[in-house]
Amino acid sequence: MLSIDTLKVHYSGIQALRGVSLEVTKGETVALIGPNGAGKSSLLNTISGLVKPNSGNVVFEDTAITGAAPWAVTKTGILQVPEGRRVFAEMTVLENLQVGQTALHGREPTYGLDDVFRVFPILQERREQMAGSLSGGQQQMLVIGRGLMGGPRLLLLDEPSLGLAPVIIAQVFSALSELKQQGLTILLVEQNAHLALTASDRAYVLEQGQIVKSGASADLREDPEVAALYLGQG
Amino acid sequence: MSQFIAGYLPLFDLYLLHLGLAFSQYIVLRAGVFSLATAAFAGIGAYTAGIFAVNLGLHPVLGLAAGTLTGMGAALFLSIPLARLRGVYQAIATVAFIQIVVSLNIYSESLTGGAMGLNAIPKTVGTGVLLIAAVAATYLVWSIEKGRLGRAFDAIRQDEAVAASLGISITWHQALAFAISGALAGLFGGLEAYHSYALDPNQFGFHLLITVLSYVILGGRNSVAGPLIGTAILIILPELARPLAENRLIIYGIMLIVVINYLPKGIADTAIDTIRARRLKRREAAA
Repeated sequence: MLSIDTLKVHYSGIQALRGVSLEVTKGETVALIGPNGAGKSSLLNTISGLVKPNSGNVVFEDTAITGAAPWAVTKTGILQVPEGRRVFAEMTVLENLQVGQTALHGREPTYGLDDVFRVFPILQERREQMAGSLSGGQQQMLVIGRGLMGGPRLLLLDEPSLGLAPVIIAQVFSALSELKQQGLTILLVEQNAHLALTASDRAYVLEQGQIVKSGASADLREDPEVAALYLGQG
Repeated sequence: MSQFIAGYLPLFDLYLLHLGLAFSQYIVLRAGVFSLATAAFAGIGAYTAGIFAVNLGLHPVLGLAAGTLTGMGAALFLSIPLARLRGVYQAIATVAFIQIVVSLNIYSESLTGGAMGLNAIPKTVGTGVLLIAAVAATYLVWSIEKGRLGRAFDAIRQDEAVAASLGISITWHQALAFAISGALAGLFGGLEAYHSYALDPNQFGFHLLITVLSYVILGGRNSVAGPLIGTAILIILPELARPLAENRLIIYGIMLIVVINYLPKGIADTAIDTIRARRLKRREAAA
């Protein structure tokens, strides 16, 4: 579905990605783990068009989207849920969700308001409230819901657990597994490797802008190196 | 009574004229563009309309259409380099643009009358036309605000990167906001030309920029009520403060400082927020 080939990105001399290649197949949840500054967010931002690559290719369902403008990328059905719960604070919950529909560009929606409210019931309760007044967990649910409103065929999720309490993280991830069961394809960037490897089918380990390991998430959980470096065992 | 109304009619005319300019400033700020070029677009529209009437002897409707179109054209032209700038750099570039327009109006003497101004423009616009134009402008801005376009503008203003990642084209929307801003300023500049007999190049300079920006800051930047209220207050205030004579401007300054400090969202927006919060609380209490 998504195929990335030797992607290189540098910002003003700093090499963020040094030739990354990866694949995402339809229906899979693929996790990207690695330390801070490894280039995980850079990779997502390059796919979604916020960052222009210096070389390499990004192909989504036979369409080359390398270096395309962000709005053009959303047209293909790639939707990014940005890191850090970036809601539109001065809009209501409902308005935030409605803005999400922009990404449809005339495509059929795959998730309506009712579907989003079914996954995240709290959003329905709070729909008239300003998004800025929600709790951190609710804001994270809102940005995921906003992404769903854009009819994603591939959802890019950037650090959904960042700064959330464990009980809220569990809620968010159980919603993600529900979405996965409904057939949504997800590329998940997550610093919490344990969480990422539990929620995903396959995973890539990114270090200093390069893929150093990849495989089935279940296998990576047993990998002694991954366990020592990322799961705090060993 | 009729004498009372007649006495305040010029003030009402000024309100209607400046309301259009306030909306021109408002709409770019709403879309997250820190442009201050409204004064320049108004100058371009006013001089175009004036030249159409004085030099070419054309019908005022043609002159107003030309003023609107040149204002819009100038805005679209300016939006190209400005798309590469953000925040305060956009503001500086647009201030420079205002100076360029003022200078052009001063130096192209054969066309604009130079520093002496463009004189003997037939007065063809009265309160009625101004009222129609102001109502139309208010309606335009209100319907943008209520629609999808307004929501896209809000998204861009609040978080440009996220707006882009949700499929909103930043360049296109900001150019559109510029075009609307330029058209509004061009139209109301043209109305000014046909309302006041004469144009002076400096009338569309830095002073007008500050005046128009103050309307929006004082009234509010996030609802159509902002420019309506801000313009009204700042036009009436100097009249009320007439007994203070030369010290009138001090009142103006103090008022702006107080509002910026204590009601940073502006008078109208603060009121709307308060009402909305109260309504929400009441509904929650009822539930």
